[in-house]
Amino acid sequence: MSAADRARDLLGRLVRASAFERFLISASALLLSVFIGALIILGAGRMTDCSTAAYTIAVPGQFVTQFVGGGSVFAMGFCYDPFAVYDLLFLGALGDVLSNPLNSQFATTIAETTILMFTGVAVAVAFRADIFNIGVQGQLVVGALTTGVVLTFLAPPLAGLGVLATAVLLPLGLLLGGVAGGAFAAIPGALKAYADANEVITTIMLNFVATSIALFLVSREDYFKDPESFASQTVPLPDVALFPSFLFRPRDDVSVLALAFALVVLVGTWYLLQHTPFGYDLRTSGLQPDAAEYGGVDADRTIVSSMTLSGALAGVGGAVYVLMVLGNFQTGVPDYGFDGITVSILAGNNPLGVGFAAFLFGVLKSGSIVVQVGSDVPPTLVGVLRGLIILFVAMPEFFRMMGKKFGSFDRPGEPVTADGATGGGSDE
Amino acid sequence: MSDWLPGGPDRSVAAYTYDWLFADRGRVQQAVIAVALAAVLGLVAAGVVAPQSNAGRLFHVLTDSSTLAATLRLSVPIAFAALGGIFAEKSGVINIGLEGLLIIAAFTGIWTTDVTGSVWYGLLGGVVASTLLAGLFAVVCIEFRADQIIAGLAVWLIALGLAPFLSSVVYGSKNTTSVDTFPTLPEMGIPFLSDAVTVPLPVVGVAPAELPFFGALFDASPPVYLMLLAVVLSWYALHRTAFGRWVEASGENPKALDTAGVSVHRVRYVAVLLSGVLAGVGGAALALGIGQFTGNGPTMVNGKGFIAIVAYLFGNYHPVGALGSTMLFAGLDATQLTLQARDVFQVPTELVRTIPYVTVIVVLALFGRTRLPSAAGEHYESGEDE
Repeated sequence: MSAADRARDLLGRLVRASAFERFLISASALLLSVFIGALIILGAGRMTDCSTAAYTIAVPGQFVTQFVGGGSVFAMGFCYDPFAVYDLLFLGALGDVLSNPLNSQFATTIAETTILMFTGVAVAVAFRADIFNIGVQGQLVVGALTTGVVLTFLAPPLAGLGVLATAVLLPLGLLLGGVAGGAFAAIPGALKAYADANEVITTIMLNFVATSIALFLVSREDYFKDPESFASQTVPLPDVALFPSFLFRPRDDVSVLALAFALVVLVGTWYLLQHTPFGYDLRTSGLQPDAAEYGGVDADRTIVSSMTLSGALAGVGGAVYVLMVLGNFQTGVPDYGFDGITVSILAGNNPLGVGFAAFLFGVLKSGSIVVQVGSDVPPTLVGVLRGLIILFVAMPEFFRMMGKKFGSFDRPGEPVTADGATGGGSDE
Repeated sequence: MSDWLPGGPDRSVAAYTYDWLFADRGRVQQAVIAVALAAVLGLVAAGVVAPQSNAGRLFHVLTDSSTLAATLRLSVPIAFAALGGIFAEKSGVINIGLEGLLIIAAFTGIWTTDVTGSVWYGLLGGVVASTLLAGLFAVVCIEFRADQIIAGLAVWLIALGLAPFLSSVVYGSKNTTSVDTFPTLPEMGIPFLSDAVTVPLPVVGVAPAELPFFGALFDASPPVYLMLLAVVLSWYALHRTAFGRWVEASGENPKALDTAGVSVHRVRYVAVLLSGVLAGVGGAALALGIGQFTGNGPTMVNGKGFIAIVAYLFGNYHPVGALGSTMLFAGLDATQLTLQARDVFQVPTELVRTIPYVTVIVVLALFGRTRLPSAAGEHYESGEDE
């Protein structure tokens, strides 16, 4: 075994170790968030009123007293039972998936997963170039709006063509969303590259702008509001322009085709980042901007193009949201963009990991509906978990210290920074 | 004249103003400043010469006492958050979670007021909640070396989820019930002060609270005066005390501070907690000024924490500068609200509402090249701890 082979072997093990460490950190962060979330559920259960306690903490517990006899020394009742809530949240989202994998709750989970894959990978692409694209929400809205509005003019004339119309309109709709989202993201990209404006602030401000513009355009009949509806929305698109539902029932608003497309996009993005010159430029300017520039990478152009790519992915997500879930554009788009930040961070900003993290979050989003129906706990709980997960993934040092304390986790390896880059040069 | 100005006594105020506005600036900045100046002069001219024209009516909206009142009221949350942001960022911790601190303080302020029945306890409750969340942020950043930007975003998202969640738990809806609001100075019945602003002045013949434009200054609610006080105190703390020098050193050269025997970690903890206290006052005052917390979408805070960041960057980390830029953004918002309320022009409200946000982007792009403290965003580990 030559020295070079040994070096390569060592490097490989290091990379695997840090990938494993990253996975452990994400998993621990998730568990810790669920635990803190349970405490919040208990705390919230003390803030509200109820006639009978849904959950009781007693010392000694019922398990002991039923054998020994007597009562508990200390007992405190809570209005919400965290175990019941998590049961609804995680398992409720799957429905009875074993007997009927096409049940409507699972369909919702798949639909949420599909869109989160796009927003997650959009955030990940920017993150890998060391850019914080918090504007994925706005880019998704702009993409969805463009697709929804333009197709209301293009789709009706072609509606008679059947499958042929779908073959034209569906790719066109996705393209429109991508172009619009990309163009909208290019603004903060250019402002960062050429005017040094912090992209965190500009993208957040543009989220507000996007929402307002969308509201303006679809709340007035002079523009694109559906005159027959009271809500702020565009005219419903004909079915031929939408994603066909192969396996699931049409009213479940989910398409296996869209899911497959999302998976292709994830793999394609991964390939683009890992195996093309553009991806190499993007990653190196994220890790070592000075070195990248010295190596001939045009830093400014890379910032603009990575932002544009990121926004385009978000815009396609918006188009999928319109063409698969809504069937037109409506205001009040859910927080897919902010969930995408969590998805990306949880996945270590790896496009392939985004697939798994998106499914996890699809479960949470779909489960929150089950929680709303099946319990008194407000479904906004998922929003709290989202924040907690980001916070805990952002502090790998905490888990490393815990690991060191309990002796199981002190493996040698590059420290992992929160944006998924390894501290040294051993980027996988 | 004016020998206290840089450049000596022989220079006129005009020359000094010209330098302050135009010297050492790029072409684009100069052009924008010139256009802004021309617009201001044009508005004033229109207001005097042609009060019935559109520009004239806009001038009257701008100079109305209610516009200044609204500007001051809208400034409160932004200014407090900006002051907090100055302390944190000067000490080397970029606190992008100010928005979250405002949100959590806004909800807790209402909840505490509802429970205790006093707006002052409500204000205190908001401060406590915001400080606790800032403390969590501080521990995560300082102790566990988290990426400050990501941890700050997490603080925002936690509050964005938690406040509507708790509101739904307690009130059954993302919006809380209405509680009492802060009284204004004349209503408060403070023995000497409340009378002084409502009694006509001897020479002018009108009460201070009824003066044409500046009357709003004497007819405001306590948070407005707290804001002005906080700006002065922050300036004093940052520029005239040892703590201010430590904060500065902690952000610029933590190693030197460490060598001088002051704990960098401790200074940063205090600075971040202080940002929690200040943002807490701002958030609670925002909600208690309206008497309700609304938690739909981006909640009632609606980006004010992020605008605050731009305000202190634009104000170059100086409390007075931050207040000035805050008043600019809040003034735009106030004008926008007055225009909507009075229906002066036929402008679509949805688009007018974006004006403050677009202005923030433009300001950041044109004047955003402020020099960050050199150690901002970086973790500092004292050699002795290892």
